[in-house]
Amino acid sequence: MAKEKVSTHPWPSPPRARFAWFRDHARVASESFGYLSARLATSLLVWLLIGIALALPAGLFLLQTNLSSLTGDWQGRPGVSVYFERGVAKTHVDAVIAKAEAQASVQQVWHITPEDALEEFQEFSGLAESLDLLAANPLPSSLKVTLANSADVVDLQDVARILGAQKGVDEVVIEKTWLERLAALSSLVNRLGVVLGAMFALGAVLVTATSVRLAIEARLDELRVQKLVGASNAFLRRPFLYFGLLYGLGGGLIALMLLSAVLLLLEKPLATLLGSYGSTLNVVGFDFTFLAGLMLLGGVLGLFGAVLASQQRLGTVEVV
Amino acid sequence: MIYDRLRWNLLWRRSWPVGSVDFRNVSKRYDNGFEALKQISVSIREGSMTFLTGHSGAGKSTFLRLLLRLEHADRGAIAVNGVDVTRLPERALPAYRRNLGAVFQDHHLLANRTVYENVALPLRVGGMREKDAARRVRAALSRVGLLEKELQFPRALSTGEQQRVGIARAVVNRPKILLADEPTGNLDPELSRDIMTLFQQFRQVGTTVIVASHDRELINSLGFRIIELSQGQLLRDIPGVADG
Ligand SMILES: Nc1ncnc2c1ncn2[C@@H]1O[C@H](COP(=O)(O)OP(=O)(O)O)[C@@H](O)[C@H]1O
Ligand SMILES: [Mg+2]
Repeated sequence: MAKEKVSTHPWPSPPRARFAWFRDHARVASESFGYLSARLATSLLVWLLIGIALALPAGLFLLQTNLSSLTGDWQGRPGVSVYFERGVAKTHVDAVIAKAEAQASVQQVWHITPEDALEEFQEFSGLAESLDLLAANPLPSSLKVTLANSADVVDLQDVARILGAQKGVDEVVIEKTWLERLAALSSLVNRLGVVLGAMFALGAVLVTATSVRLAIEARLDELRVQKLVGASNAFLRRPFLYFGLLYGLGGGLIALMLLSAVLLLLEKPLATLLGSYGSTLNVVGFDFTFLAGLMLLGGVLGLFGAVLASQQRLGTVEVV
Repeated sequence: MIYDRLRWNLLWRRSWPVGSVDFRNVSKRYDNGFEALKQISVSIREGSMTFLTGHSGAGKSTFLRLLLRLEHADRGAIAVNGVDVTRLPERALPAYRRNLGAVFQDHHLLANRTVYENVALPLRVGGMREKDAARRVRAALSRVGLLEKELQFPRALSTGEQQRVGIARAVVNRPKILLADEPTGNLDPELSRDIMTLFQQFRQVGTTVIVASHDRELINSLGFRIIELSQGQLLRDIPGVADG
């Protein structure tokens, strides 16, 4: 192996300087930090651009998390109403009640007889006298089934399907309107988040790539000389990768600050809005994992942009 | 591995290590179709001092750029220490270039770096520790007589001093081969002579020195080997009288 090395290279390779790699990383990291802070105005602009690009999809992600948690444990009373055919046999009604109570997601079942229904209707409508004229009670027997708090839309649909298939059942009505809308909204936000996230991530990559490209152009003289005196490509690339990383991390930080500001601003109106549906504002998902993830995402995107830019530009640097 | 280390240590102890250069039927055609070197065969012994001369456009710079692998030879072989460097893979070039020193007419110093930092650049690229690098940089600067200017910026120096900083940067890595392309092109005769004396000093510690210059008067007076090119061809090869 030693022989091979000597014969494929004019000079014997010197013993590798120990820790040279770490030393250079430490040096480049501090130099890059100095470089970026010396051009604070430019750096701030880049950070802001990346921050905005990250904040939007991240905000949508938060919104989606919160919407799905809302639909997940809604405090309202989702449920189904089961209407029986007129003159249904009592055994059928009892069977459906037993079936409903056997469902895990069902919390409670009320039976409303035609008489109860008529009474309620008379009370409610004030049409007592005219209804008395009817020969027979036109109202069917029905059940009100409420679901447990842990139940979601899918459970609701399952219960409705099962009960609707029972003998003697005429119609099942799902009392779910706003729950359903919320779920639909949540999935819309989800898709929007994915599309916007991809677009804005690309934007963040392009912003760093452009900034890194400008930094490369600004230091072209130095790169040429370094290449002349024997710098490896990894060595030439290193400071720019740090630029990208720092741009990305800074962008992540800005995105966090933007999101915090937006949450502060929206806290009151959101609480009022959600309060009207019997819920209190309790933002979920804005936790350490989210913060760290956002920073990490920023760092990775920045690094990726830097790799793109240096790959594309450094390869064609002409040595003097 | 051990052999590698041993050999490297031996070379290192023996003042400055050396390198031989051997051009065999080397031709170079530029992208525009111009043939700058035609079938050049030249052998340069390790530790010798050689001048390349010829009119402007004769191919002197091309010769040196091929040696530095800044250009690629179309035909022929360029052996350095017996290894054909035209076949060195791209990734081996950094390590190869770290053992060559190069000086140019327009010295290529970085304007926004001090003299010290300019000279330290090759050591930094090689990953040397700052403390060791400082010793080397100071040694190189004192060798060219500019130690007291280490904190100045290049523009504060005279042309001759700038050229000497360029030389200090070229030798700070203790290269086996030192190449200079018209190093005295911008200097008056007096300063030119000083620079040439400097190159001789590096030869005396064992470095192979190759200087391209069209200043016939100056290089004739020094008595070293002169290789004269004309339109890309070898015109004359005059052995040196001073070359031991
Ligand atoms: N990059 C290039 N592309 C095309 N022609 C070139 C290039 N570099 C040099 N030449 C031509 O090659 C010839 C030799 O150039 P050079 O080696 O620089 O000569 P010298 O250094 O002896 O003046 C010149 O005619 C020059 O015009
Ligand atoms: Mg020339």
